[in-house]
Amino acid sequence: MKPMLSTDLNMAESVTEKTKIEVKNLNFYYGESKALKDISLSLRERSVTAFIGPSGCGKSTLLRVFNRIYELYPKQRAEGQVLLDGKNILDRSQDLNLLRTKIGMVFQKPTPFPMSIYENIAFGVRLYEKLGKGEMDGRVEQALKRAALWTEVKDKLNASGLSLSGGQQQRLCIARTVAVKPEVILLDEPASALDPLSTAKIEELIDELQADYTIVIVTHNMQQAARVSKQTAFMYLGELVEFDATEKIFTSPREKRTQDYITGRFG
Amino acid sequence: MSTAESLHQSRKRKNAVMMTLCVAAAGIGLAWLALILGALLYKGVSGLSLSVFTEMTPPPGEAGGLLNAIAGSLIMTIIAVVVGTPIGVLAGTYMAEYGRFSKLTTIVRFINDILLSAPSIIVGLFVYELLVRPMGHFSAIAGAFALAILVIPVVVRTTEDMLTLVPNSLREAGTAIGAPRWIVIKSVAYRAALSGIVTGILLAIARISGETAPLLFTALNNQFWSGNLNAPMASLPVTIFQFALSPYEEWQQLAWTGALIITLTVLGLSIFARSLTGRREDR
Repeated sequence: MKPMLSTDLNMAESVTEKTKIEVKNLNFYYGESKALKDISLSLRERSVTAFIGPSGCGKSTLLRVFNRIYELYPKQRAEGQVLLDGKNILDRSQDLNLLRTKIGMVFQKPTPFPMSIYENIAFGVRLYEKLGKGEMDGRVEQALKRAALWTEVKDKLNASGLSLSGGQQQRLCIARTVAVKPEVILLDEPASALDPLSTAKIEELIDELQADYTIVIVTHNMQQAARVSKQTAFMYLGELVEFDATEKIFTSPREKRTQDYITGRFG
Repeated sequence: MSTAESLHQSRKRKNAVMMTLCVAAAGIGLAWLALILGALLYKGVSGLSLSVFTEMTPPPGEAGGLLNAIAGSLIMTIIAVVVGTPIGVLAGTYMAEYGRFSKLTTIVRFINDILLSAPSIIVGLFVYELLVRPMGHFSAIAGAFALAILVIPVVVRTTEDMLTLVPNSLREAGTAIGAPRWIVIKSVAYRAALSGIVTGILLAIARISGETAPLLFTALNNQFWSGNLNAPMASLPVTIFQFALSPYEEWQQLAWTGALIITLTVLGLSIFARSLTGRREDR
């Protein structure tokens, strides 16, 4: 079954919504093995899109194409097109570091840098902007507030980022990402290493952030996808099986495989 | 007695036997160390006085100190570390970061491991051929050069190992924020691996501070004070070698004292290195 169908339909439904990222015929390879097979889909601006599917289905791989982080490793390559505001980011001429300031990423395991809470956020900002002390302080505060972490850390900004709890570390990583003012935020199972309370906080945060950012979230947790996203893509064995409004995917999926997965028959 | 219980009893007996053997083995290993330290302390401490650090090595039959030997060791060690550390750290950085997946790294690692276990006397002979013979005389600079060659593989190895231990997720996080490769290495990877890299450097210092063979062929020895890098220079290990084998009692005493000083220095460096890694594990 061609996954293109659902995508096309979906685009027709949302003519008023602006497309932020458009993926066209994307193939991805780990060495010889093909991990993504002819993926095409478009992501709406200022909206949350979730990628779900069993382990190894390629959802994280797809996410990692958007900021080309896979280029850290040789033998990984992508073919096809990924258009960010109409410009192909897979183009050779694309400056990778600039791309990554536009498309931020938060990982599964919290990854605070081995430096203070303040420096964790200032680090990324300093790479591309020259700010005075006052401005930088403001920027750090703003980012921490945005990530709902400010009240918890405002008295210990010089403490090591590693001294925070797991949930706090993850919010620090989100703060660090929003501080460089990206347009898109990629979340790679951002809550799977966290307890339920921290997870709830992260989900709340995602809900707030979509007012300003285009968000793509990869998750194992179907309830989470249902809670936070507007649209959901179900992937299986490197293929995009179905992509539609989240409500549709979880109530009346077009595909049998989607139905089987969301009802827990496999995966 | 049930089968389960008898099996349990037999496991307990085996456990007791193995435990005894392990403790005995550990005890034997530690006993030698304790004996060496004990002998050094017993023989060395009595000679320890201010004059050891303020007077030059004496001619036979006279009192004196080890000042020129200590200073010579310090000078040559510092030069060796200043020269060898940047080369070692940069090579280790290449292997763990830029060249992690390249063939060159595998080759360099293999050669480095050979260098790491090469007898130091060979390094001494190598530098003798390379520097001492063309220059026509022994010199401190040749000694420092030989020590630097010994520093490099230790630092390469620990730097590579420590950087490899830095989780890739941290590098990805740095890259994902838009940082170029070199900044990720400098500000994230180095910072995460810092205590380990410093430990490697300290261990390299500990290793070369006791080396005698490479210095015998290069810096030789000097009975007098010399700050001239182009001339033979005294060092603690070579002085100990010379004095310990002499028939003169004053010299033998100084050799014991010198050995104690080296041992305590190496011990101090090792403990410091341990405390650095220990702190990292606490975090």
